[in-house]
This record gives sequence, C-alpha cells and structure tokens, in this order.
Amino acid sequence: MYKLNRHALNRRRVLGTLGALSVGMAAATLSGCTSTTASVGGAKSGAARRRITIGSKGFAESWIMGELYAQGLRARGYQVDLKTNVGSSDIINTALQSGQIDIYPEYTGVIVVNWVGIDTALGTADETYDIAKGWENEHGVTTLQATPFENKNAVAVRKEFADEHGLKKVSDLKGIGDFTYSTYPDNVSGAIGYEGIVDTYGLTNMKLKTLSIGLNYQAIERGEIQAADVFTTDPQLLRSDLVVLEDDKKLFGFQNVVPLIRDDVFNDLDEDAPEFLNRLHSLLTIDAIQALNEASAINRIDPAQVARVFLQANGLM
Amino acid sequence: MSGIAPAGDPVIPDYGQASDCVIGNGPFCGDWFVDQWSTVFWPPLVDHIYMVVIAVVIGFVIAFAAALIAYRKKWLAGPIGIVATFLYTLPPLALFQLLVPFTGLTLLTVEIALVCFTLVIIFQAVLAGLAAVPDDVKRSAIGMGLNQRQLMVKVELPLALPSIISGLRIATVLTVSVATIAAFVVDSGLGSPILKAVSSPFNTQFIGAGALAVLLAFVLDGLLVIVGRVLTPWTRARV
Repeated sequence: MYKLNRHALNRRRVLGTLGALSVGMAAATLSGCTSTTASVGGAKSGAARRRITIGSKGFAESWIMGELYAQGLRARGYQVDLKTNVGSSDIINTALQSGQIDIYPEYTGVIVVNWVGIDTALGTADETYDIAKGWENEHGVTTLQATPFENKNAVAVRKEFADEHGLKKVSDLKGIGDFTYSTYPDNVSGAIGYEGIVDTYGLTNMKLKTLSIGLNYQAIERGEIQAADVFTTDPQLLRSDLVVLEDDKKLFGFQNVVPLIRDDVFNDLDEDAPEFLNRLHSLLTIDAIQALNEASAINRIDPAQVARVFLQANGLM
Repeated sequence: MSGIAPAGDPVIPDYGQASDCVIGNGPFCGDWFVDQWSTVFWPPLVDHIYMVVIAVVIGFVIAFAAALIAYRKKWLAGPIGIVATFLYTLPPLALFQLLVPFTGLTLLTVEIALVCFTLVIIFQAVLAGLAAVPDDVKRSAIGMGLNQRQLMVKVELPLALPSIISGLRIATVLTVSVATIAAFVVDSGLGSPILKAVSSPFNTQFIGAGALAVLLAFVLDGLLVIVGRVLTPWTRARV
C-alpha cells in the first residue's frame, strides 16, 4: 500500500523526470533559488516573520492552492516567494523539513499512508486528520485546519451503465458480467490500484485497460471503457454524464488538504496568517474546489488568476 | 483549532463560459491565446529571452577566450575541442539532473547547462574564422609594422567575424530550443507552459508556447544577421 499510494500521487505529477531526482537532491537544492527573494531559511530570528516561501506540488489543484495561500498572505503584507511545481510528495516534504520552503498544501491521506505508513483503512476523515497532525507535530510541522473537500481516487461509471445494472456502490460491480476499467499505468498493482480494487471488492469480472492521465474521460464517453479511475475533484465530473460509485469498503481513504507549516516559521507568524488560512480552508468545499479546478482545467484560466478571483469574491483580499 | 474546518459558505465566482474551442481542446484557440497572453505566455517569454541571452553571452566570453588561447597555443586546440564537444554531446536533461545536487533547482543550474551547449559551437566558429585568415594578408600586415596584438584586433578578428557571427547564430537558435527543457528544473521559460499543457493535454497552450519559441529563434537569428552586416560592411561589397 505504501508504494501504491505514492504512485497515486505521482500520477498527478507533471514533471515525471523531476521525480527521478532523489529526495536528497531536492533538499540540497531549493535554497539558492533565483526567483525573487534571497536566502530562504535566513530570516528566522527577530520579530514577526514577514517573508515566507510557499511550495506547491506538480498538478493543477496544488498550483491553485499555492496561489491561494500566496496571494492571500501577500494581501496581508507578507513577502511571499511561491515555488510552483516543486515535485512529488517526497520531494516537497523534504524541502519543507529542510527549510527550503516554509508552507505547502498536503493531503491528509498522503501523510498517513506515505510517511506514517498506515496501510489499513481508516474509518473517518477526522481520524485520518488526527494521525496526520500527530505525525507532523513529531516532525516539527504545524498543521492548521483541513479543507472540507477531499480529493481522492474513485471509480466512476456512465449513468446509463449505472442505471442498467443498478449500481450505487463499488461492490455492486460484482457479478454484473465482464466490463473494462481504466487507470494510468503506475496505478495497476497495489492496494488502491487496479489489483487492490479487484482484491478488496472481489471484482474478478473487471478487466483492465491502462490509459494516460486525462484520456480516461474521453475513453469512457466514447464507450471504450465502462468504468474509470477518477479523482473526486476532477472538474470533468461536473460536466460529463458520470456517476461516482460509493467506496463502501473505504479502500481509498480520506484526502483533505491541510496547510503544513514548519514550527519555527509558524511561531514567528503574526496571527493574521493562520487566521487567513483557516478561513480560506473552511471555504474550500467540494463545490468550490471543483469550480476552481474547472476554471483551470476546462476554461484553462491561469491558476494565479483563478485564485485571485476566488479570494476577491470571498472578501479575502 | 483542530480537525477538518467546518464547511463555510463560499461565494463561487463565475469564471465565465469557455469557448467551444477551449472546451473541445481545438487545435488552436485564438481567443484564449489573446486572453491569456499576459499571464501564460508573456512572462515565460521574457524569462526565456533572459535565459538565452545570459547563456549565449557567457558562452561567448568563455568560448572566445578559449579559442584565442587555442589559436596561440595550437597544441591546446585539440584538448579544448574535445572537452567542449563532450559537453555538447551530453543530453540536456541528463546534464540538468547531474547538476541539480550541486547547484539546486535554480537558474544557475540551467545557465551552466545552457552555456555548456554553446561552447563547442562558438569555440569552433571563432577558431575556424581565425584559421581562415589568409597567410599573405597576415604577412603584409606584419610587413606594415603591426604587432601581434594589432594584427589580431585590426586584421584577424575582423576577417573572422562572419564565421564568429554564424557560430553565434547557431548557438543562439540551439539555446532557444534547449532552454525549453529548463522547465524541468525551474518553473520558468517557455518550457513551463508547454510542460503544464502536457499534463492535461491542451493544444493551444503548447502550440502557442512552442510557436513563440520558434518565433524567438527567428527573431534572435535575424538580429544577429543584422549585427553581422553592420559589423562587416565589406562583405556586402564583395558579394
């Protein structure tokens, strides 16, 4: 499971090659960044900290989250250096631990599975959050409140197909006859991959077709496949005629987004920063994040612009 | 303050309706390109120009100096040429990644790699240009009383200029294209919108950014042609 979930994240990573860089490399490196500000780990001492470096991972939802943090904090007078596309979970987490970045948005389930190493299904989002928070605390990182929305893997089918076979839950797929499910090549073996679903739900009738990310929606609309691996915040779910089946055996866990802030940075922050982040996170419901993702993935609006419009509409800047 | 934030009541802004072209991922959506020009294309284009200019200028300084040394001390030409050629043959992506442990995910990494690729081209161009200066021209210049330094500045370099300029043109065009790969290391340059468009296939973005890179190569090449003509007025008379 450990390995697998990491793959699930990797799937969202744009810069496949960057993943080849070892974690240590990333740790050693982010510091000399050329962009705007000087040394990142520098301004630790003294009064309130007004300069922060925010990171985001390698996919659109994370870019938007990073922009939301950065623009909101800039509006509160912080000097923010935003590093988009830092890389996979392991790389960005090392960058946080080693002081190359100060804050980044992470998914609670990722923390629990990748770093805590829990591979059994947890019962609730709160339980997942608490375990993630505990682990981060031990590692010198403060977690603020998590978003109401979560973004995790799910199985989607076309509505007609669901109606025809009376499908509501993933376990309903058992015994409906052969059908084809698609996921990306990295997500075949392992606990939340194709094999994990087959094992957990006993779906021996589920055949596999691997497709690159982003192609599964076209394939299911054309009827080339009957079920697809999707992410619950995919904006395509708003538009296409798809039904997400309930994960009744809780295979996919819980993935709310939480801001991770290194303790030394958190202790030096003014009250306004955590206040803003908590307010922002409470507004990020599933409807909100899908709209933001839609603006980015369907309307193709730049993440910076997507974030600015949302912050302004909600009086956060 | 703990746990999952209670769901607030967000105002979900209206991001407008995307055109059919954008939704259907048409080959090239002009409306979107114009709308997003100032955020998606212009800043990376500016970064890209900086990246290329810095690399070519530094590459030129190093390669030019190396060529002058190799011209004076002929036995050095071989070894320098081999080193420069070796640097040139490394795959750009591999070189970026080799450098990352030392110089980080920074512009410095990118520039070092880009400079490496310009060296062999400029080095050979300068050396070839100098070597092609006819011996009788040099002899008559010496006969007129020029010392070695004057010979270099007044005779050899001017005559080598067309070759040097053509080397610079090749190096510049090459750097424009290699610099797109820099996006693997820094979120900068025209490679950045291309990479991001690949993850969720969007034709307008990578065609737009790709076309800008091609256009940039043409423009910089054209500028160098003009510079070359201004610096070597005699070549036109000869044609």
